[in-house]
Amino acid sequence: MTVKPPVRFGLLRLADSAPAVVALQRGFFRELGLTVELSVEPSWANIADKLAYGLLDAASMLPPLALAAALGLRGAPAGLLVPMGLSGGGNTVTVRREAADAIASPNGPDDALARGRRLGQWLRAQRSPPRFAVVHAFSTHNLLLRYWLAACGVDPDRDIETVVIPPEHVEAALAQGQIAGFCAGAPWGELAEQNGSGRHLLGTSEIWANHPEKCLAVAEPWANANPLAVERLLRGLLQAQRLCEQSGSAEWVAHLLALPPLSLPAAAVRACLPGGSGREHIRFHAGLAWYPRCSQALWFLAQMLRWGWLGTEIDLPRAARRVYRPDLLAAAADAEGLAWPDATYTSEGGFCDDAIFDQPHPE
Amino acid sequence: MKILLADDDADRVRLLMQALAADRSMIVLRLHPGELLLDAVAAHGPDVVLVDMARPDRDALESLRQLSASNPRPIALFVDQDDPSFMEAAIAAGVSSYNVVGTPPPDVKPILRAAVALFHRHQQTRAALDSAESRLEERSIIDQAKTRLIRQRRLSEPDAYRWLRRNAMSSGQRIVDVARKVLSEAEDSRP
Repeated sequence: MTVKPPVRFGLLRLADSAPAVVALQRGFFRELGLTVELSVEPSWANIADKLAYGLLDAASMLPPLALAAALGLRGAPAGLLVPMGLSGGGNTVTVRREAADAIASPNGPDDALARGRRLGQWLRAQRSPPRFAVVHAFSTHNLLLRYWLAACGVDPDRDIETVVIPPEHVEAALAQGQIAGFCAGAPWGELAEQNGSGRHLLGTSEIWANHPEKCLAVAEPWANANPLAVERLLRGLLQAQRLCEQSGSAEWVAHLLALPPLSLPAAAVRACLPGGSGREHIRFHAGLAWYPRCSQALWFLAQMLRWGWLGTEIDLPRAARRVYRPDLLAAAADAEGLAWPDATYTSEGGFCDDAIFDQPHPE
Repeated sequence: MKILLADDDADRVRLLMQALAADRSMIVLRLHPGELLLDAVAAHGPDVVLVDMARPDRDALESLRQLSASNPRPIALFVDQDDPSFMEAAIAAGVSSYNVVGTPPPDVKPILRAAVALFHRHQQTRAALDSAESRLEERSIIDQAKTRLIRQRRLSEPDAYRWLRRNAMSSGQRIVDVARKVLSEAEDSRP
């Protein structure tokens, strides 16, 4: 019998890396006959490069970056496929306390749009555009932050200065006054709130309810050569997502993520998991977080086009369809007894400005 | 040609600077401790930036293009993205290279080759050291577990080792993993 080399799985120090860590620790991969090795990377660029050049087989990934890498917007076009979603929601827009105090309105309307308009007034009253950090230009965080600001009449290219800071450093940058605010994943916003260095303005699910967050990206040559390993990987992750979704498991999951290799702050993680006390919670299974709907990819691409990061010659539906591959998930979802959604495209709704995103698509 | 080295490893930087100093047409700059990569890129305007992949600030470097709409700054792209096998070797060695668009550097390949070779050699040395350290650490864990078994189960030293080995074989684990378990259980049972 030949021993298959382990599947090399890349992730960052974030609470939504939980499915891979849980699947490994709980033995879900092992029970399926799969050996998986986790590789905690210091940057999203590392994950993208290592997937593109065969040093990782699979990774927890930002959907816009997976699309950008596949389209060749950062280096040569990378052979990446997205066969499943790993999480939804979980990010917060968190600002320094003086900014939060300045725009608080105890008596006025307090929905996402009202808060954004007051933030806009505060931003324009500053001497220079305040700095906001995101974790990568091609991140869910950046695109959602820009969408919300623009919906509130704020120009994200003029009224703020956007900088990129690794997620695990944003809290310190806020505490030291290097930035006025950030949009980052769990648990880093929660940590700022707990340490008193920042206050949440909103969770990103208030910008786009039920928005997809991390996806699974696999290296295309590896996936083509190892269809069985892909199916087992997907099944192990689907099992772990279900476990992570239960609030009864959250205490244990937070404890697990506090151990090496992730070593995250346990209390802040717990607050962001299902049933936690945080402003925003990660969805691991709920809201079809596991399903990579092509119309979600299309929304990310349309936002990238909106901000001038894509050439108008790119066929967006074709790009979405080429990277997002729900068909690769069908057998694993079936084996796990999951009800398969009807459509790979739907009109996407639940945005803070009540818009409906309904792009023409091939099906 | 101006080259900026973003690498905190003083030895590696010194060796690379030595290797590149032979060519007088080259100016090699290094990132100073605490200096931000983006600030150094803006201040020096290098043609090529070589970055240690262990650094977390690569995401900032490669986001410049999208986030500089109102504040034009140099734009970074990969050098040598048209040579996949060379890129693979570089990434495996842990070094990534960028060039500032608009000034395609001529004959950059020898520099990149020198950098990749140095990073690769450094990585092997590190791996050899790590493996020696972990072998020592494993030996010490097994010794501690044996001591505990000798005390708790009143075994002789050879019997304690045989006990560990038997359990390792029957559970399909490595001896050191069984030893770790012995130690953690002993800790848990403390009042």
